[in-house]
Amino acid sequence: MSMRSGFAMRGVTHSFADGGTVLQVLDDLSLEVGAGELVAVMGPSGSGKSTFLSIGGALLAPTGGEVLIDGESFAGKSPLELADLRLNKIGFVFQSANLIPYLYVREQLMLVAKLAGMEKGQARRRASALLEQLGLSHRANAYPSKLSGGERQRVAIARAWMNDPAVLFADEPTASLDASRGRDVVGMIAERTKAERKSAVMVTHDDRVLSFCDRVLYMKDGRLVPI
Amino acid sequence: MFLALREIRHAKARYALIALIMLLVSFLVLFVTGLARGLAYDNAASIQNMAATHFVLQEQSEHRLARSAVGNKELAAAREAVGDAQATPLGMRMSAVMVEGSSGKLDAALLAVDMNGWLSPSVAAGRTITGGAVMTILADRKLAESGAQVGGVIVDVATGIRLTIAGFVDDESFSHAPAVFISLDDWSAMQARTELAAGPSADASYNAIAVQASGDRLEALREALPEAEIITKADAVSAIPGYKEEQGSLLMMIVFLFVISAFVLAVFFYVITLQKAGQFGILKAIGTRTSYLAGSVIGQVLLLSTGSLAASSLLILLAQTALPASLPFRLETDTLLLTCALFLGMSAAGSLLSVAQVARTNALDAIGRAAG
Repeated sequence: MSMRSGFAMRGVTHSFADGGTVLQVLDDLSLEVGAGELVAVMGPSGSGKSTFLSIGGALLAPTGGEVLIDGESFAGKSPLELADLRLNKIGFVFQSANLIPYLYVREQLMLVAKLAGMEKGQARRRASALLEQLGLSHRANAYPSKLSGGERQRVAIARAWMNDPAVLFADEPTASLDASRGRDVVGMIAERTKAERKSAVMVTHDDRVLSFCDRVLYMKDGRLVPI
Repeated sequence: MFLALREIRHAKARYALIALIMLLVSFLVLFVTGLARGLAYDNAASIQNMAATHFVLQEQSEHRLARSAVGNKELAAAREAVGDAQATPLGMRMSAVMVEGSSGKLDAALLAVDMNGWLSPSVAAGRTITGGAVMTILADRKLAESGAQVGGVIVDVATGIRLTIAGFVDDESFSHAPAVFISLDDWSAMQARTELAAGPSADASYNAIAVQASGDRLEALREALPEAEIITKADAVSAIPGYKEEQGSLLMMIVFLFVISAFVLAVFFYVITLQKAGQFGILKAIGTRTSYLAGSVIGQVLLLSTGSLAASSLLILLAQTALPASLPFRLETDTLLLTCALFLGMSAAGSLLSVAQVARTNALDAIGRAAG
Protein backbone atom coordinates (compact mmCIF):
# COMPACT_ATOMS: atom_id res chain seq x y z
CA MET A 1 0.00 0.00 0.00
CA SER A 2 1.52 3.26 -1.13
CA MET A 3 2.01 6.15 1.28
CA ARG A 4 1.14 8.56 -1.51
CA SER A 5 -2.45 7.46 -1.65
CA GLY A 6 -4.97 7.06 1.09
CA PHE A 7 -5.32 8.50 4.53
CA ALA A 8 -2.87 8.54 7.41
CA MET A 9 -2.79 9.79 11.01
CA ARG A 10 0.57 9.69 12.75
CA GLY A 11 1.03 10.09 16.47
CA VAL A 12 -2.07 12.24 16.80
CA THR A 13 -2.81 13.48 20.30
CA HIS A 14 -5.62 15.71 21.38
CA SER A 15 -6.52 17.08 24.76
CA PHE A 16 -9.21 19.37 26.13
CA ALA A 17 -8.89 21.58 29.16
CA ASP A 18 -11.92 20.64 31.23
CA GLY A 19 -12.44 22.64 34.38
CA GLY A 20 -8.79 22.73 35.41
CA THR A 21 -8.01 19.12 34.48
CA VAL A 22 -6.63 18.19 31.10
CA LEU A 23 -8.61 15.54 29.29
CA GLN A 24 -6.46 13.43 26.98
CA VAL A 25 -8.91 12.31 24.29
CA LEU A 26 -6.51 10.99 21.69
CA ASP A 27 -3.13 9.69 22.75
CA ASP A 28 -0.51 8.95 20.10
CA LEU A 29 -3.11 7.62 17.70
CA SER A 30 -1.85 6.26 14.39
CA LEU A 31 -3.86 4.91 11.49
CA GLU A 32 -3.23 4.18 7.83
CA VAL A 33 -6.05 3.52 5.42
CA GLY A 34 -4.98 2.41 1.96
CA ALA A 35 -6.70 2.79 -1.37
CA GLY A 36 -9.76 0.60 -1.72
CA GLU A 37 -9.93 -0.02 2.02
CA LEU A 38 -12.94 0.47 4.31
CA VAL A 39 -12.09 0.65 8.00
CA ALA A 40 -14.66 0.54 10.77
CA VAL A 41 -14.03 2.36 14.06
CA MET A 42 -16.01 1.27 17.12
CA GLY A 43 -16.04 2.24 20.74
CA PRO A 44 -18.34 3.40 23.52
CA SER A 45 -19.62 6.96 23.52
CA GLY A 46 -17.14 9.35 25.01
CA SER A 47 -14.20 7.30 23.82
CA GLY A 48 -13.15 10.01 21.39
CA LYS A 49 -14.67 8.76 18.13
CA SER A 50 -16.16 12.15 17.29
CA THR A 51 -12.88 13.90 18.03
CA PHE A 52 -11.07 11.34 15.89
CA LEU A 53 -13.50 11.98 13.03
CA SER A 54 -13.30 15.75 13.40
CA ILE A 55 -9.51 15.71 13.26
CA GLY A 56 -9.42 13.22 10.37
CA GLY A 57 -12.01 15.29 8.52
CA ALA A 58 -9.98 18.51 8.83
CA LEU A 59 -12.61 20.12 11.05
CA LEU A 60 -10.40 20.27 14.15
CA ALA A 61 -6.66 20.77 14.49
CA PRO A 62 -5.02 18.17 16.76
CA THR A 63 -2.89 19.20 19.71
CA GLY A 64 -0.07 17.07 18.33
CA GLY A 65 0.77 14.72 15.49
CA GLU A 66 0.11 14.75 11.79
CA VAL A 67 -2.79 14.00 9.44
CA LEU A 68 -2.21 13.35 5.74
CA ILE A 69 -4.42 12.80 2.72
CA ASP A 70 -2.66 11.52 -0.40
CA GLY A 71 0.61 12.31 1.33
CA GLU A 72 -0.39 15.95 1.90
CA SER A 73 -0.28 17.12 5.51
CA PHE A 74 -3.01 19.31 7.06
CA ALA A 75 -0.44 21.12 9.15
CA GLY A 76 -0.05 24.84 8.55
CA LYS A 77 -3.13 25.19 6.36
CA SER A 78 -5.40 28.21 6.78
CA PRO A 79 -9.11 27.76 7.53
CA LEU A 80 -9.82 28.63 3.90
CA GLU A 81 -7.38 26.01 2.61
CA LEU A 82 -8.89 23.46 4.97
CA ALA A 83 -12.38 24.28 3.64
CA ASP A 84 -11.14 23.71 0.10
CA LEU A 85 -9.48 20.49 1.21
CA ARG A 86 -12.74 19.26 2.71
CA LEU A 87 -14.53 20.24 -0.46
CA ASN A 88 -12.20 18.48 -2.86
CA LYS A 89 -10.49 15.66 -0.97
CA ILE A 90 -12.93 14.59 1.73
CA GLY A 91 -16.43 13.21 1.53
CA PHE A 92 -18.67 13.24 4.60
CA VAL A 93 -21.67 11.09 5.36
CA PHE A 94 -23.29 12.27 8.58
CA GLN A 95 -25.43 10.46 11.12
CA SER A 96 -28.77 11.56 9.74
CA ALA A 97 -28.00 12.49 6.15
CA ASN A 98 -28.19 16.21 6.87
CA LEU A 99 -29.24 17.22 3.42
CA ILE A 100 -30.15 20.81 2.61
CA PRO A 101 -33.96 20.86 2.93
CA TYR A 102 -34.63 23.31 0.12
CA LEU A 103 -32.57 21.63 -2.59
CA TYR A 104 -33.82 18.89 -4.91
CA VAL A 105 -31.84 15.65 -4.75
CA ARG A 106 -29.97 16.50 -7.95
CA GLU A 107 -29.20 19.99 -6.66
CA GLN A 108 -27.66 18.55 -3.49
CA LEU A 109 -24.99 17.09 -5.76
CA MET A 110 -24.82 20.07 -8.11
CA LEU A 111 -24.13 22.37 -5.15
CA VAL A 112 -20.91 20.66 -4.09
CA ALA A 113 -19.79 20.43 -7.73
CA LYS A 114 -20.48 24.13 -8.18
CA LEU A 115 -18.60 25.01 -5.00
CA ALA A 116 -15.62 23.01 -6.29
CA GLY A 117 -15.83 24.79 -9.64
CA MET A 118 -16.70 21.71 -11.67
CA GLU A 119 -17.87 22.45 -15.20
CA LYS A 120 -21.67 22.35 -15.33
CA GLY A 121 -22.09 19.73 -18.05
CA GLN A 122 -19.62 17.43 -16.38
CA ALA A 123 -21.33 17.99 -13.03
CA ARG A 124 -24.69 17.06 -14.54
CA ARG A 125 -23.31 13.86 -16.05
CA ARG A 126 -21.57 12.89 -12.85
CA ALA A 127 -24.64 13.61 -10.73
CA SER A 128 -26.82 11.53 -13.05
CA ALA A 129 -24.34 8.66 -13.01
CA LEU A 130 -24.08 8.67 -9.21
CA LEU A 131 -27.84 8.85 -8.75
CA GLU A 132 -28.20 5.98 -11.20
CA GLN A 133 -25.62 3.87 -9.39
CA LEU A 134 -27.26 4.50 -6.04
CA GLY A 135 -30.72 3.76 -7.40
CA LEU A 136 -32.00 7.31 -6.98
CA SER A 137 -32.63 8.40 -10.57
CA HIS A 138 -36.38 8.48 -10.08
CA ARG A 139 -35.91 10.72 -7.02
CA ALA A 140 -33.65 13.31 -8.70
CA ASN A 141 -36.26 16.06 -8.53
CA ALA A 142 -37.62 15.40 -5.06
CA TYR A 143 -37.04 17.39 -1.89
CA PRO A 144 -35.33 15.48 0.95
CA SER A 145 -38.52 15.64 3.03
CA LYS A 146 -40.21 13.38 0.44
CA LEU A 147 -37.55 10.66 0.73
CA SER A 148 -37.33 7.69 3.05
CA GLY A 149 -34.49 7.53 5.61
CA GLY A 150 -32.57 5.06 3.46
CA GLU A 151 -32.97 7.18 0.35
CA ARG A 152 -31.79 10.26 2.21
CA GLN A 153 -28.68 8.46 3.38
CA ARG A 154 -27.99 7.28 -0.18
CA VAL A 155 -28.26 10.87 -1.39
CA ALA A 156 -25.77 11.84 1.31
CA ILE A 157 -23.44 9.13 0.00
CA ALA A 158 -23.84 10.39 -3.57
CA ARG A 159 -23.08 13.92 -2.35
CA ALA A 160 -19.99 12.68 -0.52
CA TRP A 161 -18.69 11.02 -3.71
CA MET A 162 -19.63 13.88 -6.01
CA ASN A 163 -16.30 15.72 -5.95
CA ASP A 164 -14.31 12.49 -6.28
CA PRO A 165 -12.67 12.74 -2.83
CA ALA A 166 -9.66 10.72 -1.74
CA VAL A 167 -11.19 9.83 1.60
CA LEU A 168 -14.73 9.24 2.79
CA PHE A 169 -15.74 9.66 6.44
CA ALA A 170 -19.01 8.19 7.61
CA ASP A 171 -20.34 9.12 11.05
CA GLU A 172 -22.71 6.34 12.15
CA PRO A 173 -24.41 6.26 8.75
CA THR A 174 -26.83 3.51 9.83
CA ALA A 175 -27.93 5.08 13.12
CA SER A 176 -31.34 6.11 11.82
CA LEU A 177 -31.95 3.10 9.55
CA ASP A 178 -33.40 -0.36 10.05
CA ALA A 179 -31.19 -3.43 9.63
CA SER A 180 -31.74 -4.14 5.95
CA ARG A 181 -31.51 -0.48 4.88
CA GLY A 182 -28.41 -0.11 7.02
CA ARG A 183 -26.80 -3.03 5.24
CA ASP A 184 -27.75 -1.56 1.84
CA VAL A 185 -26.19 1.77 2.69
CA VAL A 186 -22.91 0.38 4.03
CA GLY A 187 -22.82 -2.07 1.11
CA MET A 188 -22.90 0.87 -1.27
CA ILE A 189 -20.12 2.66 0.60
CA ALA A 190 -17.99 -0.50 0.51
CA GLU A 191 -18.68 -1.14 -3.15
CA ARG A 192 -17.72 2.33 -4.29
CA THR A 193 -14.67 2.39 -2.03
CA LYS A 194 -13.43 -0.75 -3.77
CA ALA A 195 -14.46 0.27 -7.27
CA GLU A 196 -12.92 3.73 -7.12
CA ARG A 197 -9.90 2.72 -5.02
CA LYS A 198 -10.71 5.27 -2.31
CA SER A 199 -10.08 5.17 1.41
CA ALA A 200 -13.06 5.10 3.75
CA VAL A 201 -13.39 5.35 7.52
CA MET A 202 -16.71 4.58 9.18
CA VAL A 203 -17.48 5.21 12.81
CA THR A 204 -20.26 2.86 13.83
CA HIS A 205 -22.05 1.12 16.67
CA ASP A 206 -23.76 -1.25 14.31
CA ASP A 207 -22.03 -4.66 14.30
CA ARG A 208 -24.45 -5.93 11.64
CA VAL A 209 -22.51 -4.00 8.99
CA LEU A 210 -18.98 -4.95 10.04
CA SER A 211 -18.83 -7.76 7.46
CA PHE A 212 -18.48 -5.11 4.72
CA CYS A 213 -15.34 -3.70 6.34
CA ASP A 214 -11.77 -4.71 5.63
CA ARG A 215 -10.66 -3.94 9.18
CA VAL A 216 -12.45 -3.21 12.42
CA LEU A 217 -10.65 -1.05 14.98
CA TYR A 218 -11.65 -0.26 18.53
CA MET A 219 -11.10 3.07 20.26
CA LYS A 220 -9.39 2.37 23.55
CA ASP A 221 -7.50 4.80 25.81
CA GLY A 222 -7.19 7.31 22.99
CA ARG A 223 -5.80 4.83 20.49
CA LEU A 224 -7.14 2.55 17.81
CA VAL A 225 -6.54 -1.13 18.43
CA PRO A 226 -7.61 -4.15 16.36
CA ILE A 227 -10.36 -6.26 17.82
CA MET B 1 -27.01 32.90 -5.42
CA PHE B 2 -27.50 29.15 -6.00
CA LEU B 3 -28.58 28.59 -2.41
CA ALA B 4 -30.28 31.97 -1.99
CA LEU B 5 -32.64 31.55 -4.93
CA ARG B 6 -33.50 27.94 -4.20
CA GLU B 7 -34.30 28.67 -0.60
CA ILE B 8 -36.71 31.41 -1.67
CA ARG B 9 -38.25 28.95 -4.15
CA HIS B 10 -38.73 26.44 -1.36
CA ALA B 11 -40.22 28.84 1.20
CA LYS B 12 -42.21 31.15 -1.07
CA ALA B 13 -44.82 32.16 1.48
CA ARG B 14 -42.28 33.11 4.11
CA TYR B 15 -40.25 35.25 1.74
CA ALA B 16 -43.34 36.72 0.10
CA LEU B 17 -44.50 37.97 3.49
CA ILE B 18 -41.24 39.69 4.29
CA ALA B 19 -41.13 41.13 0.76
CA LEU B 20 -44.62 42.52 1.27
CA ILE B 21 -43.59 44.19 4.52
CA MET B 22 -40.56 45.66 2.76
CA LEU B 23 -42.76 46.85 -0.08
CA LEU B 24 -45.14 48.64 2.28
CA VAL B 25 -42.36 50.25 4.27
CA SER B 26 -40.44 51.35 1.18
CA PHE B 27 -43.63 52.71 -0.38
CA LEU B 28 -44.19 54.78 2.74
CA VAL B 29 -40.58 55.97 2.67
CA LEU B 30 -40.94 57.08 -0.94
CA PHE B 31 -44.30 58.69 -0.30
CA VAL B 32 -43.16 60.68 2.72
CA THR B 33 -39.98 61.63 0.87
CA GLY B 34 -42.04 62.88 -2.04
CA LEU B 35 -44.27 64.81 0.31
CA ALA B 36 -41.28 66.36 2.08
CA ARG B 37 -39.75 67.37 -1.24
CA GLY B 38 -43.07 68.72 -2.43
CA LEU B 39 -43.60 70.80 0.69
CA ALA B 40 -40.01 72.05 0.59
CA TYR B 41 -40.54 73.11 -2.98
CA ASP B 42 -43.83 74.74 -2.19
CA ASN B 43 -42.27 76.61 0.68
CA ALA B 44 -38.87 77.67 -0.54
CA ALA B 45 -38.45 77.11 -4.26
CA SER B 46 -37.92 80.77 -5.08
CA ILE B 47 -35.21 81.25 -2.46
CA GLN B 48 -33.57 77.95 -3.45
CA ASN B 49 -33.59 78.99 -7.10
CA MET B 50 -31.80 82.25 -6.39
CA ALA B 51 -28.17 82.32 -7.42
CA ALA B 52 -27.26 84.12 -4.18
CA THR B 53 -24.86 82.66 -1.62
CA HIS B 54 -25.86 85.00 1.21
CA PHE B 55 -28.48 87.51 2.17
CA VAL B 56 -27.95 90.75 4.07
CA LEU B 57 -30.81 91.40 6.47
CA GLN B 58 -31.57 94.10 8.95
CA GLU B 59 -30.37 93.52 12.47
CA GLN B 60 -32.70 91.55 14.74
CA SER B 61 -34.77 90.25 11.86
CA GLU B 62 -34.04 86.69 12.99
CA HIS B 63 -33.23 85.47 9.48
CA ARG B 64 -36.75 86.33 8.32
CA LEU B 65 -36.96 88.23 5.07
CA ALA B 66 -40.34 89.63 6.02
CA ARG B 67 -39.02 91.16 9.22
CA SER B 68 -36.13 92.89 7.57
CA ALA B 69 -35.88 96.29 5.97
CA VAL B 70 -32.76 97.53 4.22
CA GLY B 71 -32.23 100.64 2.18
CA ASN B 72 -29.95 102.16 -0.41
CA LYS B 73 -27.33 102.97 2.24
CA GLU B 74 -26.84 99.28 3.01
CA LEU B 75 -26.99 98.40 -0.68
CA ALA B 76 -24.25 100.87 -1.43
CA ALA B 77 -22.11 99.55 1.41
CA ALA B 78 -22.62 95.96 0.27
CA ARG B 79 -21.73 96.83 -3.31
CA GLU B 80 -18.62 98.57 -2.04
CA ALA B 81 -17.59 95.40 -0.22
CA VAL B 82 -18.40 92.63 -2.70
CA GLY B 83 -18.57 94.41 -6.03
CA ASP B 84 -21.40 96.14 -7.87
CA ALA B 85 -22.59 93.11 -9.74
CA GLN B 86 -22.45 90.79 -6.75
CA ALA B 87 -25.04 92.56 -4.62
CA THR B 88 -28.61 93.11 -5.67
CA PRO B 89 -31.68 94.17 -3.70
CA LEU B 90 -34.63 91.90 -3.02
CA GLY B 91 -38.10 92.96 -2.01
CA MET B 92 -40.57 90.50 -0.60
CA ARG B 93 -44.14 90.82 0.53
CA MET B 94 -46.88 88.28 1.09
CA SER B 95 -49.95 89.52 -0.63
CA ALA B 96 -53.45 88.64 -1.60
CA VAL B 97 -54.28 88.96 -5.29
CA MET B 98 -57.31 88.51 -7.47
CA VAL B 99 -57.25 87.38 -11.03
CA GLU B 100 -59.19 89.95 -12.97
CA GLY B 101 -62.35 88.47 -14.38
CA SER B 102 -62.66 85.82 -11.73
CA SER B 103 -63.76 85.96 -8.13
CA GLY B 104 -61.86 84.84 -5.05
CA LYS B 105 -58.60 85.94 -3.55
CA LEU B 106 -55.34 84.05 -3.84
CA ASP B 107 -52.18 84.14 -1.80
CA ALA B 108 -49.11 85.26 -3.66
CA ALA B 109 -45.58 86.13 -2.70
CA LEU B 110 -44.47 89.37 -4.35
CA LEU B 111 -40.78 89.26 -5.10
CA ALA B 112 -39.10 92.39 -6.35
CA VAL B 113 -35.91 91.75 -8.27
CA ASP B 114 -33.71 93.48 -10.80
CA MET B 115 -35.20 92.07 -13.99
CA ASN B 116 -31.85 92.38 -15.76
CA GLY B 117 -29.87 90.92 -12.85
CA TRP B 118 -29.11 87.44 -11.66
CA LEU B 119 -32.17 87.16 -9.43
CA SER B 120 -34.45 87.43 -12.42
CA PRO B 121 -36.21 84.10 -13.06
CA SER B 122 -36.17 82.45 -16.44
CA VAL B 123 -39.40 82.81 -18.33
CA ALA B 124 -41.18 79.63 -19.37
CA ALA B 125 -44.04 81.21 -21.29
CA GLY B 126 -44.70 84.73 -22.51
CA ARG B 127 -41.90 87.27 -22.54
CA THR B 128 -39.43 88.90 -20.19
CA ILE B 129 -40.02 92.27 -18.62
CA THR B 130 -38.29 95.11 -20.37
CA GLY B 131 -37.48 98.54 -19.03
CA GLY B 132 -40.45 100.44 -20.43
CA ALA B 133 -43.28 98.30 -19.19
CA VAL B 134 -44.95 99.49 -16.02
CA MET B 135 -46.61 97.25 -13.45
CA THR B 136 -45.90 94.08 -15.34
CA ILE B 137 -45.07 90.83 -13.64
CA LEU B 138 -43.76 87.33 -14.15
CA ALA B 139 -46.06 84.94 -12.32
CA ASP B 140 -45.67 81.34 -11.26
CA ARG B 141 -47.57 79.06 -13.58
CA LYS B 142 -49.67 77.81 -10.67
CA LEU B 143 -51.70 81.01 -11.01
CA ALA B 144 -52.78 79.80 -14.42
CA GLU B 145 -54.90 77.20 -12.65
CA SER B 146 -56.87 80.09 -11.18
CA GLY B 147 -57.50 81.63 -14.57
CA ALA B 148 -54.49 83.88 -14.99
CA GLN B 149 -52.99 84.07 -18.47
CA VAL B 150 -50.23 85.84 -20.31
CA GLY B 151 -51.39 89.35 -21.04
CA GLY B 152 -54.04 89.08 -18.34
CA VAL B 153 -54.22 91.15 -15.18
CA ILE B 154 -54.11 90.36 -11.51
CA VAL B 155 -55.00 92.89 -8.85
CA ASP B 156 -53.02 93.37 -5.67
CA VAL B 157 -55.80 93.51 -3.12
CA ALA B 158 -54.00 95.69 -0.54
CA THR B 159 -53.12 98.51 -2.93
CA GLY B 160 -55.57 97.95 -5.75
CA ILE B 161 -52.70 98.04 -8.21
CA ARG B 162 -53.32 96.18 -11.46
CA LEU B 163 -50.44 94.01 -12.55
CA THR B 164 -50.16 92.75 -16.11
CA ILE B 165 -48.75 89.27 -16.57
CA ALA B 166 -45.90 89.44 -19.06
CA GLY B 167 -44.99 85.80 -18.71
CA PHE B 168 -45.11 82.68 -16.62
CA VAL B 169 -42.24 81.09 -14.74
CA ASP B 170 -41.98 77.49 -13.53
CA ASP B 171 -41.31 76.20 -10.05
CA GLU B 172 -41.33 79.52 -8.24
CA SER B 173 -43.03 79.70 -4.88
CA PHE B 174 -42.47 81.04 -1.40
CA SER B 175 -44.15 80.09 1.86
CA HIS B 176 -46.67 77.83 0.08
CA ALA B 177 -47.77 80.66 -2.19
CA PRO B 178 -47.02 81.10 -5.89
CA ALA B 179 -44.39 83.75 -6.55
CA VAL B 180 -45.04 86.93 -8.50
CA PHE B 181 -41.94 88.77 -9.71
CA ILE B 182 -42.04 92.50 -10.21
CA SER B 183 -39.35 94.92 -11.21
CA LEU B 184 -37.60 97.15 -8.66
CA ASP B 185 -39.14 100.28 -10.16
CA ASP B 186 -42.62 98.85 -9.83
CA TRP B 187 -41.78 97.77 -6.30
CA SER B 188 -40.77 101.31 -5.39
CA ALA B 189 -43.90 102.69 -6.94
CA MET B 190 -45.95 100.21 -4.94
CA GLN B 191 -44.09 101.09 -1.76
CA ALA B 192 -44.76 104.75 -2.38
CA ARG B 193 -48.47 104.08 -2.56
CA THR B 194 -48.59 102.17 0.68
CA GLU B 195 -46.46 104.77 2.38
CA LEU B 196 -48.85 107.49 1.41
CA ALA B 197 -51.39 105.70 3.46
CA ALA B 198 -49.15 104.78 6.35
CA GLY B 199 -47.06 107.90 6.44
CA PRO B 200 -43.54 108.26 5.08
CA SER B 201 -40.90 106.02 6.51
CA ALA B 202 -37.13 106.20 6.41
CA ASP B 203 -35.02 104.94 3.55
CA ALA B 204 -36.19 101.33 3.80
CA SER B 205 -37.20 100.15 0.41
CA TYR B 206 -36.13 96.50 0.28
CA ASN B 207 -36.23 93.43 2.50
CA ALA B 208 -32.79 92.08 1.84
CA ILE B 209 -29.70 92.32 -0.29
CA ALA B 210 -28.79 89.14 -2.12
CA VAL B 211 -25.06 88.74 -2.55
CA GLN B 212 -22.68 86.36 -4.21
CA ALA B 213 -19.61 86.32 -2.03
CA SER B 214 -17.19 84.08 -0.26
CA GLY B 215 -13.92 84.28 1.66
CA ASP B 216 -12.35 87.73 1.86
CA ARG B 217 -15.24 89.50 0.23
CA LEU B 218 -17.63 88.03 2.71
CA GLU B 219 -15.36 89.27 5.50
CA ALA B 220 -15.27 92.70 3.92
CA LEU B 221 -19.07 92.65 3.77
CA ARG B 222 -19.28 91.78 7.47
CA GLU B 223 -16.93 94.64 8.28
CA ALA B 224 -18.82 97.09 6.10
CA LEU B 225 -22.16 96.17 7.67
CA PRO B 226 -21.33 95.14 11.23
CA GLU B 227 -24.89 95.68 12.42
CA ALA B 228 -26.62 93.69 9.71
CA GLU B 229 -27.47 90.01 9.76
CA ILE B 230 -25.59 88.24 7.01
CA ILE B 231 -27.03 84.78 6.54
CA THR B 232 -26.53 81.95 4.11
CA LYS B 233 -29.17 80.90 1.63
CA ALA B 234 -29.81 77.74 3.68
CA ASP B 235 -30.42 79.90 6.77
CA ALA B 236 -32.86 82.01 4.84
CA VAL B 237 -34.70 78.91 3.65
CA SER B 238 -34.98 77.32 7.06
CA ALA B 239 -36.18 80.62 8.53
CA ILE B 240 -39.24 80.57 6.29
CA PRO B 241 -42.14 80.19 8.75
CA GLY B 242 -42.92 76.50 9.23
CA TYR B 243 -40.16 75.26 6.95
CA LYS B 244 -37.93 73.73 9.60
CA GLU B 245 -40.86 72.22 11.47
CA GLU B 246 -42.35 70.68 8.34
CA GLN B 247 -39.12 69.26 7.05
CA GLY B 248 -37.95 68.21 10.50
CA SER B 249 -41.00 66.13 11.30
CA LEU B 250 -41.07 64.54 7.85
CA LEU B 251 -37.37 63.80 8.03
CA MET B 252 -37.89 62.15 11.39
CA MET B 253 -40.56 59.92 9.88
CA ILE B 254 -38.28 58.98 7.01
CA VAL B 255 -35.38 58.19 9.32
CA PHE B 256 -37.64 56.07 11.53
CA LEU B 257 -38.96 54.19 8.52
CA PHE B 258 -35.41 53.48 7.39
CA VAL B 259 -34.46 52.24 10.83
CA ILE B 260 -37.64 50.16 11.13
CA SER B 261 -37.08 48.50 7.79
CA ALA B 262 -33.48 47.72 8.68
CA PHE B 263 -34.60 46.20 11.97
CA VAL B 264 -37.43 44.18 10.44
CA LEU B 265 -35.02 42.71 7.92
CA ALA B 266 -32.30 42.22 10.49
CA VAL B 267 -34.58 40.36 12.89
CA PHE B 268 -36.21 38.26 10.17
CA PHE B 269 -32.91 37.13 8.73
CA TYR B 270 -31.31 36.72 12.13
CA VAL B 271 -34.07 34.37 13.23
CA ILE B 272 -33.98 32.27 10.09
CA THR B 273 -30.19 32.23 10.23
CA LEU B 274 -30.36 30.93 13.80
CA GLN B 275 -32.82 28.27 12.64
CA LYS B 276 -30.40 27.25 9.94
CA ALA B 277 -27.32 27.04 12.16
CA GLY B 278 -27.26 23.25 11.68
CA GLN B 279 -27.41 23.57 7.91
CA PHE B 280 -24.64 26.11 7.88
CA GLY B 281 -22.55 23.76 10.03
CA ILE B 282 -23.09 20.93 7.54
CA LEU B 283 -22.32 23.17 4.58
CA LYS B 284 -19.13 24.35 6.21
CA ALA B 285 -18.17 20.77 7.08
CA ILE B 286 -18.47 19.68 3.47
CA GLY B 287 -16.19 22.53 2.45
CA THR B 288 -18.39 25.58 1.79
CA ARG B 289 -16.51 28.78 2.46
CA THR B 290 -17.95 31.21 5.00
CA SER B 291 -17.75 33.97 2.38
CA TYR B 292 -20.02 31.97 0.08
CA LEU B 293 -22.61 31.50 2.84
CA ALA B 294 -22.39 35.16 3.87
CA GLY B 295 -22.81 36.16 0.22
CA SER B 296 -25.85 33.95 0.06
CA VAL B 297 -27.48 35.68 3.05
CA ILE B 298 -26.65 39.18 1.77
CA GLY B 299 -27.80 38.13 -1.68
CA GLN B 300 -31.18 37.15 -0.32
CA VAL B 301 -31.53 40.42 1.56
CA LEU B 302 -30.58 42.52 -1.45
CA LEU B 303 -32.78 40.45 -3.75
CA LEU B 304 -35.80 40.95 -1.51
CA SER B 305 -35.15 44.67 -1.00
CA THR B 306 -34.46 45.28 -4.69
CA GLY B 307 -37.66 43.50 -5.65
CA SER B 308 -39.68 45.37 -3.04
CA LEU B 309 -38.14 48.70 -4.07
CA ALA B 310 -38.84 48.10 -7.73
CA ALA B 311 -42.46 47.29 -6.94
CA SER B 312 -42.90 50.24 -4.60
CA SER B 313 -41.21 52.66 -7.05
CA LEU B 314 -43.66 51.50 -9.68
CA LEU B 315 -46.55 51.97 -7.27
CA ILE B 316 -45.36 55.44 -6.27
CA LEU B 317 -45.13 56.48 -9.92
CA LEU B 318 -48.68 55.24 -10.43
CA ALA B 319 -49.81 57.00 -7.26
CA GLN B 320 -48.15 60.20 -8.44
CA THR B 321 -50.37 60.36 -11.49
CA ALA B 322 -53.44 59.70 -9.36
CA LEU B 323 -52.70 62.28 -6.67
CA PRO B 324 -54.66 65.54 -6.80
CA ALA B 325 -52.65 68.50 -8.10
CA SER B 326 -53.25 70.40 -4.88
CA LEU B 327 -51.17 67.86 -2.94
CA PRO B 328 -47.59 69.04 -2.99
CA PHE B 329 -45.84 65.86 -4.03
CA ARG B 330 -42.56 65.87 -5.89
CA LEU B 331 -40.27 62.92 -6.39
CA GLU B 332 -37.56 63.62 -8.91
CA THR B 333 -35.67 60.69 -10.36
CA ASP B 334 -32.48 61.52 -8.50
CA THR B 335 -34.31 61.71 -5.17
CA LEU B 336 -36.02 58.42 -5.96
CA LEU B 337 -32.71 56.75 -6.81
CA LEU B 338 -30.98 58.19 -3.77
CA THR B 339 -33.79 56.99 -1.49
CA CYS B 340 -33.66 53.53 -3.06
CA ALA B 341 -29.87 53.40 -2.67
CA LEU B 342 -30.17 54.42 0.99
CA PHE B 343 -32.83 51.79 1.51
CA LEU B 344 -30.63 49.11 -0.01
CA GLY B 345 -27.76 50.28 2.16
CA MET B 346 -29.87 50.02 5.29
CA SER B 347 -31.04 46.55 4.27
CA ALA B 348 -27.47 45.41 3.73
CA ALA B 349 -26.55 46.85 7.13
CA GLY B 350 -29.45 44.92 8.64
CA SER B 351 -28.11 41.66 7.21
CA LEU B 352 -24.74 42.06 8.93
CA LEU B 353 -26.10 40.57 12.13
CA SER B 354 -26.95 37.39 10.25
CA VAL B 355 -23.59 37.38 8.49
CA ALA B 356 -21.88 37.54 11.87
CA GLN B 357 -24.00 34.59 12.97
CA VAL B 358 -23.02 32.63 9.87
CA ALA B 359 -19.37 33.35 10.56
CA ARG B 360 -19.75 32.13 14.14
CA THR B 361 -21.36 28.84 13.12
CA ASN B 362 -18.95 25.99 13.71
CA ALA B 363 -18.52 23.21 11.18
CA LEU B 364 -17.70 20.89 14.09
CA ASP B 365 -21.37 20.90 15.09
CA ALA B 366 -22.01 18.71 12.07
CA ILE B 367 -20.26 15.74 13.67
CA GLY B 368 -22.41 13.77 16.05
CA ARG B 369 -25.59 15.61 15.15
CA ALA B 370 -28.48 13.21 15.51
CA ALA B 371 -31.11 15.27 13.73
CA GLY B 372 -31.01 18.12 11.32
